[in-house]
Amino acid sequence: MYLVATTVPPSGESEIMDKPPVRIVLAKIGLDGHDRGIKVVARGLRDAGFHVIYAGLWQTPESVVRTVADEDADWLGLSILSGAHMTLVPRVLHLLRQAGLEHVGVIVGGIIPESDVPKLLELGVARVFGPGTPIPEIVEFLRGRTPAPSAS
Amino acid sequence: MGNRQEIRELCQRFAAHDRQALSRLLTLASRGEQLEEIRHLVGAARAAPLDGQRGSPSRRVVAITGSPGVGKSTLVGRLIEVLRHQGSSVAVLACDPQSPLTGGALLGDRFRMPSRPEDPQVFIRSLATPGGRGAIPEHIDLMVALLQAFGFAWVILETVGAGQGETAVRHVADVVVLLVQPEAGDDIQWEKAGLFEVADLIVVHKADLPGADKVEAQIRTLVNLPGCREVPVLRVSSHQKEGLEELVKQIEILASQSRTSASSAKARLRDLLRERFVQAFEQLGGQAEELVRGWEEGRLSDEEVFAEVIERMASSSPSAN
Repeated sequence: MYLVATTVPPSGESEIMDKPPVRIVLAKIGLDGHDRGIKVVARGLRDAGFHVIYAGLWQTPESVVRTVADEDADWLGLSILSGAHMTLVPRVLHLLRQAGLEHVGVIVGGIIPESDVPKLLELGVARVFGPGTPIPEIVEFLRGRTPAPSAS
Repeated sequence: MGNRQEIRELCQRFAAHDRQALSRLLTLASRGEQLEEIRHLVGAARAAPLDGQRGSPSRRVVAITGSPGVGKSTLVGRLIEVLRHQGSSVAVLACDPQSPLTGGALLGDRFRMPSRPEDPQVFIRSLATPGGRGAIPEHIDLMVALLQAFGFAWVILETVGAGQGETAVRHVADVVVLLVQPEAGDDIQWEKAGLFEVADLIVVHKADLPGADKVEAQIRTLVNLPGCREVPVLRVSSHQKEGLEELVKQIEILASQSRTSASSAKARLRDLLRERFVQAFEQLGGQAEELVRGWEEGRLSDEEVFAEVIERMASSSPSAN
């Protein structure tokens, strides 16, 4: 946790105060109890000035999409370490589109085999962050791509 | 997001009961954008309810407050279940602190609440709350009004949980529920001024834990001193699901007491008028500076300045077309 706080470069305060905060929902879907990583990311993004809505463990694709809608989020971050990403992520993307939320960017983190990454990107995921990703890399990516790009 | 066409479209979608328009308008309100248009929208919804549920007198605004870790989110989650069981719709505004240094926030209330993706009668929004007065975000009154105009019978405000001195909720909520828990300090802790004075109802939460009896006894002694207004004290255990129906019943009773709601309505209207007046003044732009100079130099009387601002207020309300 300490490392996370110190590795995020402090941003100019004026920038933070001028722009409306970026809202990101972080969630774990499916039967996957490994929430260490997503909590570290949540903390890191918080320290970088994001408004992080932590939806927690054992979410369904339906509940995540409802959360994104009601929270008016710009981004959705999914953490999956269970191996079910090729089932769950397409379902989330489908439901987002169905709900008219294609403007919400989706990022995925966790244990994703390299061969699956291009498939996820093709489906509409904006980026896949593997283990060991430095938090500033995620921050820079999100800052550079907000307002959220089309997920499709 | 700032153009007039977009906000108009949003208002139309809101009137057609589009949930995402509600969500977007809540964001705008929380950022202090398009306030006039949104006020106009909720004002119109209040004056002309679009369906039977809207504007119904049984609407409740309840604030849940108490120290961090006392179980506010968990209790709100339980209340959602009880209220849905009774057939009431419910919206939640869950506040968590925002860092004064980075502006960032980790909003972790909603993951303690039941997720009911299939249920359109539940709406949960997390709000980052900058420090300062009252521990509730700016324009929360407007967000409450939006949720009510959309048709939610109950609006629950979960405060940041600063505990003491969190009195601003009083103006927004019909009923303020204060949560305390066992082993939370000695009886002098309860004697401190601030929160206890605004609580309409005190809940000894986590009542399944040892020490609940003692806390309840201490609080009963405190709130039942001669000359004090009577505040009900309830024991609730979210863990054991005990005391929840009774809590809802007590909130109903308190909310229906006309004395409370009439005085809080008056307070709310007073706040609204104050805010609108200052806003109109600020919208005068360059004219405001002239007024200030004229007033300072004694060329303009107080009344003349007021008249200018009032004229501005009257002309700035968005037209209905």
